[in-house]
Amino acid sequence: MNLTGTFTFDGPRTVVWDLLQDPVVLAKALPGTERLALTTEDRFEGVMKVSVGPVTAATFDVVVTLKDKVPPQRFAMQIDGKGGVGFTRGTANVELAEQPDGGTLMTYTSDVQVGGKIASVGQRLIESVGKMMMRQALDALARELRVRLEGNPHTP
Amino acid sequence: MSVETNDGAPAPPFTGTPAGSKATPYVNSRVQRNEDARLLTGRARFVDDVHLPGMLHVAFVRSDYAHGRLLSVDAAAARERAGVVAVYTSEDLGAYSKPAPLLVPPPPIAGLVFHACTHLPLATGKVRHVGEPIAMIVAESRYIAEDAVRDVVVDIEPLDAVVDLEAALGPEAPRVHEHLASNAAAHVVQRKGDYEAARSRADVVITRRFLYDRGASAAIENRAVVAQWDTQAEELTIWDTTQAPIPIRNGLATMLGLPESQVRVVAPFVGGGFGPKIMMFYPEELLVPWAAMQLGRPVKWTEDRQENFYATTQERGQVHEAEMALTKEGLILGVSDTFLFDTGAYDPYGLTIPINTQCTLLGPYDIPNYHTEFTAVFTNKTIVTPVRGAGRQHGVFVSERLLDIAARQMGIDRVEIRKRNLLGPDRFPHNHEIMFQDSAPLVYDSGNYLPTLEQAAEIIGYEQFVRDEQPRLRAEGKHVGVGIACYVEGTGIGPYEGARVTVEPSGRVRVATGVGTQGQGHYTVFAQIVADVLAVEVTNVQVITGDTREFQWGTGTFASRGAVVAGSACHAAALAVREKALALAARLLEVEPAALDIEGGRVFVRGAADRGFTLGDLAGKANPLRGAVKPGTKPGLEATEYFGPDRGSTANGVHAILVEVDPETAMVEIKRYVVVHDCGTIINPMLVEGQIHGGVAHGIGNAFYEQLIYDEQGQLLNASFMDYLLPTATDVPPIETAHRETPSPYNVMGLKGVGEAGCIPTGAVFAQAVEDALGDPRFEIREIPISPNTLFNLITEARRV
Amino acid sequence: MLVRLTVNGAAYERDVEPRLLLSDFLRQDLGLTGTHVGCEHGVCGACTILFDDEPVRSCIMLAVQADGHDLRTVEGLSSDGTALNPLQAAFREMHALQCGFCTPGFLMTLTAFLRDHPHPTGLEIRDALSANLCRCTGYQHIVEAVTRVCRD
Repeated sequence: MNLTGTFTFDGPRTVVWDLLQDPVVLAKALPGTERLALTTEDRFEGVMKVSVGPVTAATFDVVVTLKDKVPPQRFAMQIDGKGGVGFTRGTANVELAEQPDGGTLMTYTSDVQVGGKIASVGQRLIESVGKMMMRQALDALARELRVRLEGNPHTP
Repeated sequence: MSVETNDGAPAPPFTGTPAGSKATPYVNSRVQRNEDARLLTGRARFVDDVHLPGMLHVAFVRSDYAHGRLLSVDAAAARERAGVVAVYTSEDLGAYSKPAPLLVPPPPIAGLVFHACTHLPLATGKVRHVGEPIAMIVAESRYIAEDAVRDVVVDIEPLDAVVDLEAALGPEAPRVHEHLASNAAAHVVQRKGDYEAARSRADVVITRRFLYDRGASAAIENRAVVAQWDTQAEELTIWDTTQAPIPIRNGLATMLGLPESQVRVVAPFVGGGFGPKIMMFYPEELLVPWAAMQLGRPVKWTEDRQENFYATTQERGQVHEAEMALTKEGLILGVSDTFLFDTGAYDPYGLTIPINTQCTLLGPYDIPNYHTEFTAVFTNKTIVTPVRGAGRQHGVFVSERLLDIAARQMGIDRVEIRKRNLLGPDRFPHNHEIMFQDSAPLVYDSGNYLPTLEQAAEIIGYEQFVRDEQPRLRAEGKHVGVGIACYVEGTGIGPYEGARVTVEPSGRVRVATGVGTQGQGHYTVFAQIVADVLAVEVTNVQVITGDTREFQWGTGTFASRGAVVAGSACHAAALAVREKALALAARLLEVEPAALDIEGGRVFVRGAADRGFTLGDLAGKANPLRGAVKPGTKPGLEATEYFGPDRGSTANGVHAILVEVDPETAMVEIKRYVVVHDCGTIINPMLVEGQIHGGVAHGIGNAFYEQLIYDEQGQLLNASFMDYLLPTATDVPPIETAHRETPSPYNVMGLKGVGEAGCIPTGAVFAQAVEDALGDPRFEIREIPISPNTLFNLITEARRV
Repeated sequence: MLVRLTVNGAAYERDVEPRLLLSDFLRQDLGLTGTHVGCEHGVCGACTILFDDEPVRSCIMLAVQADGHDLRTVEGLSSDGTALNPLQAAFREMHALQCGFCTPGFLMTLTAFLRDHPHPTGLEIRDALSANLCRCTGYQHIVEAVTRVCRD
């Protein structure tokens, strides 16, 4: 599964960078996250529940390791998820570019392999579920960014 | 269904009955099946129907990864779950963890290279395909066992998977079996004549690459094993959805350290075999009986459908680079074919499939020079063993496609080019000089191919379609096409089967044989054979198959051999019983045996019908409680005979199809499907039709709908019927069948097999018809399946060029 | 949970786990093994039974859903358990079954279909059968069996 895209945050790059490194924020933003904690430097561990088609609420033990950090510009992630219905393994790259209007353009690319039962019955849906989760996560991060900057999630 | 002999006259049905017996024979008549009443009323026992007191249930922890190092398996939490009785990993098996036997050692072909790598009951050290079993959980219910599967923590270090056949042989490819230098499991070359010389003389050489992809057998019943160790009788009973109960019994007895007489394997009603149910020994077949003995309680495992996609064997992946050299009249001078055969993660079944491909490519044609070479390749996918057709479809696809392309290029009609190359009826027995899967040289025993082809062409109306209808419909904007393809199929191979026929004092006749039955109608077909010889009612003949306690010598049901080999043994045993009955009656009546007739279950003096005995009477008299049984004779009216043909008998046929293709949606509609088939003497025409219909449906599935899709990491992406599409009643057209007979000289009844016939040329005939329908010379079909997606892409691609 | 239901006219009462599938309940708890399980995801139709006279896939239903309902399985088609009803007899006559594993599902689907459509065309028959999978017969003899039973 390749998830690739861009997203514009209405805020400075340094704030966006901090958000993306904050386990509390990520735990709230990523759909289905039950818990997420920073266990050692640059390593997040947690539990996520994901639904893909006929497979509902599949639990995954997730480990995300950050690498190649060039704050506040870019970083890479190694993703490993293991659960009863399958596993995911992959990498992702995130680039943050300052925009002239003060916003931040995030560009992400990822290559994630999905395997096990969830791949064999949910195959047609994995990509769309992945995209949906990404969209939800980014929207949630955008709201969190507003809170940080202005204290009000609904300020346009 | 019509039946004709070589000269077109209606075939006199072979009855196999000696003179003076049954007036209206059962052989060659549409006898309704003896077994149907039980199946129709839900009273037939299948393996999962077996319920025993105290029975435990099994679920397997299986690998999610196609390739990886198995670092650790932690079953502690699973063992603590309430209701879990035991969890076994490879370590727990101890000395029982041994590689499964190599079932079919390769034939003695010169220069053959073969690396036998068979599976262990539970993965050890490495996992080599998704679904490979890692741990076995035994619990009070399947529900609890499946819960416990989630408790087991498996640590696998993933390795890159080997999936693509050509990449698998590349220098950078990870090795599935690290003790080997590469992923090549085998290399075999067979030659006849001198292809290079033939090629240099040729006017036309057609070179193409062909692809045939994996499909599942998808029997509606998944596999299941139940085992019970009776401590008082000291007997192990195993119910197994196997096509080969006797070899299973023999192998398990050895492995478990028991005398064969203390192990009983029963294959009751089995819901479809199609090949994979003869694979031995599946891990589950090795482990469930072992667990039953360890735990002292009956143990059951039933496969669920998703497991079936990983854990039951599959078939069909091959890549061919092929070439045909022809004269300008379209006569084949020679064929050269080099191919890769996907054997999956292990190769317990040897090289049966690719050797079938090598042999079946020759078809009904006179091919004087032939070079065929294959490399079997290990991949990180489910193990490959024969599935209905067993490699024959690939050979047919290659030769039929090359002929079609040659015909198009040279402007010769497709039927005409085939006619020019067919072996004539005077060329039999025809020795092709290469080796067949039964380790004997490939010899066609009998056949007459031209009338079959002509009849198929006539039934489908080939000439007037090409001349009149197709141009007319094309002018209306319709894309219609006709396809016609020929094949030859080796059937009825040895080593042997046996049968015991017994007349009981009640007059009822009992037949026991070692093969299993998965829907082929053995309970009826064997009864027909025996009923004719003994002149009794077919409903009065009880047939028992698939129970090692009843019959202990034999191999199994595979390779279209049941009726031929076991049927011939039944015939021989019935004849022996008949002789005994006549001899005994002659002695009692003080006449010569030749003066006696058998009719209606009675032996009597010809012309004096009141002087006689029923067969039941004779059976009683042959087993006296007083008096003497003469030395050298055996009591009772019973005989056991075996049949072991030197080689298989050769069936053949032609399929023809009319299709309409919608070039916008790439949907193909089959307008007509015709099969003209020669399987020698027919025992039950209704059952033969059924086998052909079923085979054609399977062939349509493989040609158009069915494809097992693996991603680059060896993950099977469509392991369910939602995404692996089996043809339904609206996808399979009515099938018109006609039958011809060239009896086999290798068995008394002249029988040849028919089980796989329907699905062998289907891909080839589909491809030809669809190409014809699209009528675009830029457009060639060189791969199977031709799914609507593939077809759409091919059409778009061809138009762009 | 307690489940009270009738199957083939007989009343049953059992205490079951909520997650027990209806197909497993019939086969294991009630010993009615005529209903077969082929896929457990509602596609092959081998598990088809009549639920208040309508055909359903018992493999994707829970036993607790059957509480208070009236079910019919293949065992209930025969008047005495062994004699063949006209549809079953037609199947036998036309060789509409080979291994017989999918057959109970076809019989139940057809029992409901023919009750509502006593004179179907060939295409209507195939359409009605298109949700039951058979790997042995290629469907032709099944269609012929249905035509046969409708003729009588």
